[in-house]
Amino acid sequence: MKTDFGAIGFKVLVVLLYLFLVAPLLMVVLTSFGSDAVESFPPKDFSLIWYWKALSEPSFMAGLRTSLTIAALATLIATPLGAAAAFGIHRGRFPGRNALQALLLAPLLVPGIVIGIALLVAFSAIDFGTAWQRLLFGHVLVILPYSTRTTLAALVRLDPSLEEAAALFGASRWQTLVHVTLPSIAQGIMAGAIFGFILSFDEAAVSLFLIDVDTTTLPIAIMSHIEYSVDPSVTALSSMLILATLLLTVVLERLFGLRRVLGAS
Amino acid sequence: MSDISLNRGAPMTLRGLFAQIVDLFPKSGLTISIPAAAIVFFGLVLPVGYLLLLSFNPAQLGVIELVPQVTFANYLKLVGDGYYWSILGRTLWVAAATTVIASALGFILAVSLWQTSPKWRGLLTVVVLAPLLVSIVARTFGWIIILGNKGLFNRALEAVGIAPMQIMYTDTAVIIGLVHVFIPYVVLTIMASLDRIDPLLAEAAKTLGASGATTVREIILPLAMPGVVAGATIVFSLAMSSYVTPAMMGAANSYVLATVVYQQFVMNFNWHFGAVLVAILLATSLLTILFMLTAVARLSRRWGEGA
Repeated sequence: MKTDFGAIGFKVLVVLLYLFLVAPLLMVVLTSFGSDAVESFPPKDFSLIWYWKALSEPSFMAGLRTSLTIAALATLIATPLGAAAAFGIHRGRFPGRNALQALLLAPLLVPGIVIGIALLVAFSAIDFGTAWQRLLFGHVLVILPYSTRTTLAALVRLDPSLEEAAALFGASRWQTLVHVTLPSIAQGIMAGAIFGFILSFDEAAVSLFLIDVDTTTLPIAIMSHIEYSVDPSVTALSSMLILATLLLTVVLERLFGLRRVLGAS
Repeated sequence: MSDISLNRGAPMTLRGLFAQIVDLFPKSGLTISIPAAAIVFFGLVLPVGYLLLLSFNPAQLGVIELVPQVTFANYLKLVGDGYYWSILGRTLWVAAATTVIASALGFILAVSLWQTSPKWRGLLTVVVLAPLLVSIVARTFGWIIILGNKGLFNRALEAVGIAPMQIMYTDTAVIIGLVHVFIPYVVLTIMASLDRIDPLLAEAAKTLGASGATTVREIILPLAMPGVVAGATIVFSLAMSSYVTPAMMGAANSYVLATVVYQQFVMNFNWHFGAVLVAILLATSLLTILFMLTAVARLSRRWGEGA
C-alpha cells in the first residue's frame, strides 16, 4: 500500500490545531501551580501560593461577588422571560410574529461594545440606577436572546402528538403544559439558563460601560489588574474560571448538546 | 368566580387563575412575549436609535441631550482626520487577517471532525467548542504567558538559537488571540453544512480513484461553502468590534476601532463623535451579516439543498 503523504500531513496539521486550541488554557493552569513568576515555565515546584493570593486579593473577591450575583439574578430574570417569549412566538398566531422574533434575537447581531455604549448613553440620559442595577439590566438584555433561542429550539423539536395525546386523554391545557410540555422542553430551558449564566459571568464588553469605581465585575477586575502586572495570582483565578466553565460545558453537552446550545443547527 | 371553583371541585386558587390564563394561550402568544420584547426595545432599539441621532448633533463635551439641530460635522471630522483612517485601516486589516486564518483552520478542523468515527466525534467536538465558553479574559491571559517577551515561545526560540521576537502588543499577537477565540464559530457553522453531506459521497469519490486532497477540493469544499461563508462573516463581524483581545494584547490604548470608541466615551466624554464611530461599527456588522444571508442563500440554492 502506498503511503498517502497528504493524509499524514493533514493529520499532523489537525493535531497541531488541537494543540493551538488548548495551549493557552493549559499554560494558565500549569503555571498556576508553580511558586515562581509567570515567565518561568515549566514550574520547578508544586505550590498553591497563587491560589491563596488570588483568594485574598480584595478586588478579585469583590468582583467575584458582583459577577456571581449579577449572573445568577440575570439568569433568573432572563430565563422565564425568554422562555415565555419563545412560547409566544412558537404557539401564538398574531400578525408581526416574525418581526417579534427578529426583535428578540436582535441583541445577538449587535456588537457587545455597541450595546454597552447605547446603554451607557440611555442610562445617563434618563439618569437611571446605580452601576449594579445598570449591570443587571445590561446582562439580562445580553443573555435574553439565548434563553429565547434554546427554548425555541426545544419547542421545535417537541413532538406535537405528545400534547395531542394528552388532550385526547382529557388533560386540560394547564395539565398538558405542566405535565407534558414543560418536562419535555425543560432540558432546553435549563441549557439556555446555564449558557446564559456563563455568558453573563464572562461578559466584559458591555459591562465595561456600566461599571463604576465601586462596582466592578470579575473579568474587568482581572483586565485592569493585568494592565499593571502580569501577576501569577491571575493564573490561579483564571484556572478556577477555566475549570468551572469546562465542568458546566460537560453538563451542557450531556443535557442538550453543545452544538444546539450554541445555535448552529 | 364561584363557577370556576365549583367546576374544578377546588377553591379558586392562584393555580386556577393561571389555568384561566393558559386557556387563552393561542391569543396570548403576543402577551407573554411582551416583557422580553420590551426589554430589547427599551434596552437596545431605542438607545441605539438615540445614539445614532446624537451623531448628527453638534459635538459638545459631556452633553447628552438631543438638540433639534442637524449637522454632519462629526462625520466630516472623521473623514478629514488621517488618524481615524489609520485606525479604521488597522481594524479592517486585523479583522480580515483573522477571518482568513480562522476560516481556513476552522475548515480543516471541521472536515477532520466530519471524518472522525462517531465514537470520537462527540468528545472532539466538545474539545473544539469548549474554548468558546471559557472566559475570554482567561484565554487571552494564556496567550500573554505564551507570547510575552520572556514567554514560552521566545524561550523556545532562544533554546534553538534564534533571537527573541517582540510579539506581544503587535498586530500579530492580536490576530493570534482573535483566531483562537473565533475558530470554534467557524467549526460550528461548517459542521452544520457538512452534516448535510452524505458520507457515501466522499466514499464514492475515493472508489472512483480521487485522492484525499481532490475529494476535499472538488466535493467537500463546494458543499461546505455556505458554512464557510457564514462562519467567515460571523468572524469578520465579531473581529471588527472585538474589544477585550485588542485591549489586552494590542499596542497602547488607541489601537483599533473598539478601543478608540471606548476612549471617546469613557475618557474623553466626546459622545457625539463617539456616536459616529459606533455608527461605523454597527453599519459594518449589519452589512456583513446582510451580505452573509444573501451569499449563503445563493450558495445553498446553487447546490440545490433547499434548506
